Amino acid sequence: MPAVTYVEADGACHVVEVPVDENVMHGAVYNDVSGIIGECGGACSCATCRCYVDEAWSAQVGGPATDAERDLLIGADGELKPNARLSCQITMRAELDGLVVHMPEHQF
Amino acid sequence: MAIDAANPVPPAYPRSAGPDQIPPHVPKELVFSSGLTTGAEFLANPHDFMARMHEKYPPIFYDVSEHINAWQFLKHEDALFALRHWEYFSNEGATPFPRDPNDYFYFIPIEIDPPEHRKYRNIVDPLFSPRGVLKLEDLIRQRSRDLLDEFADKGECEFTTAFGRPLPVSVFLDIMGLPQDMRDTFVDWAVNLLHAKDRETMGRAMANIVAYIKQAIAEKQAHPDEGVISRIAHAAPDGKPLSEKEIFGFVIFLFIGGLDTVFATLNNIWLWLARNPERVREILARPGDIDNIVEELLRRWSVTFSGRVVAQDFEMRGVKLKKGDRITCVLPACNFDPEVFPDPLEVNFDRPRKTILAFTVGVHSCMGAHLARLELKIALQEWLQRVPGFSLKPDAKIEYRPGGVVGPELVPLVW
Repeated sequence: MPAVTYVEADGACHVVEVPVDENVMHGAVYNDVSGIIGECGGACSCATCRCYVDEAWSAQVGGPATDAERDLLIGADGELKPNARLSCQITMRAELDGLVVHMPEHQF
Repeated sequence: MAIDAANPVPPAYPRSAGPDQIPPHVPKELVFSSGLTTGAEFLANPHDFMARMHEKYPPIFYDVSEHINAWQFLKHEDALFALRHWEYFSNEGATPFPRDPNDYFYFIPIEIDPPEHRKYRNIVDPLFSPRGVLKLEDLIRQRSRDLLDEFADKGECEFTTAFGRPLPVSVFLDIMGLPQDMRDTFVDWAVNLLHAKDRETMGRAMANIVAYIKQAIAEKQAHPDEGVISRIAHAAPDGKPLSEKEIFGFVIFLFIGGLDTVFATLNNIWLWLARNPERVREILARPGDIDNIVEELLRRWSVTFSGRVVAQDFEMRGVKLKKGDRITCVLPACNFDPEVFPDPLEVNFDRPRKTILAFTVGVHSCMGAHLARLELKIALQEWLQRVPGFSLKPDAKIEYRPGGVVGPELVPLVW
């Protein structure tokens, strides 16, 4: 199973196995990684699963999947940081094994 | 203090009601009797009423009624804060549904605060996740088509009984692992429990539901299947099986929480569609934008409220809230906050995406939200394909009844 490394704002790392086709938000929530909340459950509606994709991975993961994701990221951060994503909108694929995402200090 | 979910007891905080029970810390200038959910002005047009609350009342005010006195939160920002901070705004004892004090149970997970709350959500969240509910898509589509087959050729129907009520009930039965031949019985129970005018009818409906659910749980304990009741009945978070009270409180909460809200949402939206044929044409012309359309309709036609009990003294916007005070987030009003959604009553499918409060936010954010979105999406697609041009029956009288779930009573349609 591919693994994702979640890096908290204070540097703490959590390595979690996330099944293919599952999203990166659920990988955190179902495994008690506290920096991601995901309160809407993955509807692209609440912006409480923000993450910053590590530079080494940002090209492969890509930018926001939809205008809705882009709007929410801008609403949450005031600007669209180039590597910001909603983790519920990143679907795990085999080639993302080893993905590293950084979490913001606060989700709200 | 955290409650013990396996040993439920009625809540300690008293409910105050009426002008004689206004606590001394509430300033006179913040006391109103708005008539929210019950007054004639509200019942004439509930959503317009809730939009106007931003002009008529302070953003946080103390509403006095014969049923319950509570602080009302109107601002989007304040509701986000309250719903996201359970340490100040608790769910324990905040659900107003009456229960037998001698056989008390908690509605699970809504009445349980963190950290215990997550253990219950983890049991069902995978089933109700966006990916989980997608497995139901074909089934919901089929249920919608079956219902449409019954009346699409007739040129008329009463929407709430022909479609709005039976669709979510039959989907609920599928998800729970209950037989479809119970559909009309469940419809009757839901109507009598939530809309009866007398307490005797309500009590009888509740007794029938309780007996049926207890028997269904026993059956699923003996014969496990893929349905939600079986999953809850066999769950063992941290290796510890749930108690009978927990299983019962969980299953009955899904019944009460899930049926009326989707029903009312559909009824509101179909009434609006019937009155706005040009918007029906717009929806039909934009099939690729269906998710944005669903989200905006859910914002414009939110149907319910979210209550909390103040867990420790706290000040917001200069208003002193005391431990034990009750608050209500007026979710439709929050979705009409003009600072967040300009021109709030306008249905605009191109609004920038912002957090809507139809399903609340925070840890208690609605677990059925993805299912509700999917049901609404499929209902729109299937209905508009079969019955694209419809209007309100000319002599139709649209009425709303008092209550915590807002929607028109009957929506007679012709085409």
